Amino acid sequence: MTQEPLPFDHRPDPVLGAALRQALDPGDAAAFVAVVLARADETRAFAGSWHGVLARWARVGLGAAVLLALAGGYLVERAGATGGTPSVTEALIAPRAQAPEVEVVLASVLEP
Amino acid sequence: MKPDSQPPAPAARIPQQDETALVARARAGDHAAFGALAERYAGVARRVARAVLGDPDDADDAAQDGFLSALVKLEQYDPRRPFGPWLLRIVANAATDRRRRRTVRRVEPLDPGLVAGGTRPDAATERRALSERLRQALAELPERRRIAVVLFDVEGYSHAEIAAVLGIPEGTVRSEVFHARRRLRVSLADWKGEG
Repeated sequence: MTQEPLPFDHRPDPVLGAALRQALDPGDAAAFVAVVLARADETRAFAGSWHGVLARWARVGLGAAVLLALAGGYLVERAGATGGTPSVTEALIAPRAQAPEVEVVLASVLEP
Repeated sequence: MKPDSQPPAPAARIPQQDETALVARARAGDHAAFGALAERYAGVARRVARAVLGDPDDADDAAQDGFLSALVKLEQYDPRRPFGPWLLRIVANAATDRRRRRTVRRVEPLDPGLVAGGTRPDAATERRALSERLRQALAELPERRRIAVVLFDVEGYSHAEIAAVLGIPEGTVRSEVFHARRRLRVSLADWKGEG
């Protein structure tokens, strides 16, 4: 052992450090690193495949969105053409759905 | 028996510039750069994980999980800060998570003959016995204390760096190291006394 350490000694204790290092010795570093790299490759491959899947879905989704937008636009336009507010010209030349009341007709004739 | 009294090797110290370049390359998908980082930090990461978990196989699994987690999170790493503490924090968290998840402890029972200071046929047996005793003493410490003393006395990290790893104030790190050393030194002293 080294000298009895002071409280809160700011220097590493080489004896204790060496003993602990020996006690925690992890063994074959090369095998460990090889496993880490193999798992890293798997992780990247998995991430890559997910990106591919997401990208494919994104393309399909984009196509579907465009189709929906076109279909929606067409339907809106059609609805506007059939049930929309008529223009002034259309209102003037359009035949009346009901014949005017007799009193109204007479009143309009009698008025100066 | 007396362990080698060489000073702790400055663990995995890489110049900041090299480290930043390696991390940048690893982030860009460079397999070799990530391999270089894994190689340089494998020792310290495995020792920290073993200090937390005790069992070497569990520790290696946790250290691997830590490396992979770091790889996934590389985008979040701030290159202005040292890489080692950032990585070790992830590894320590991985080890802690694994320890929490572990329902059945697989720590091998200590050999009573070795623990009680039985016959010591050779130096290798003595070293193993001392290591066993230290691991046992380490296992009795609170987790944070274990990590602190390993990073300080084994790996040569500063109090500030350990504070970054553990996410605690520097003063607390000093206190943890002090208490851990006091306990571990008792183990070493007992061992000497029995010898």
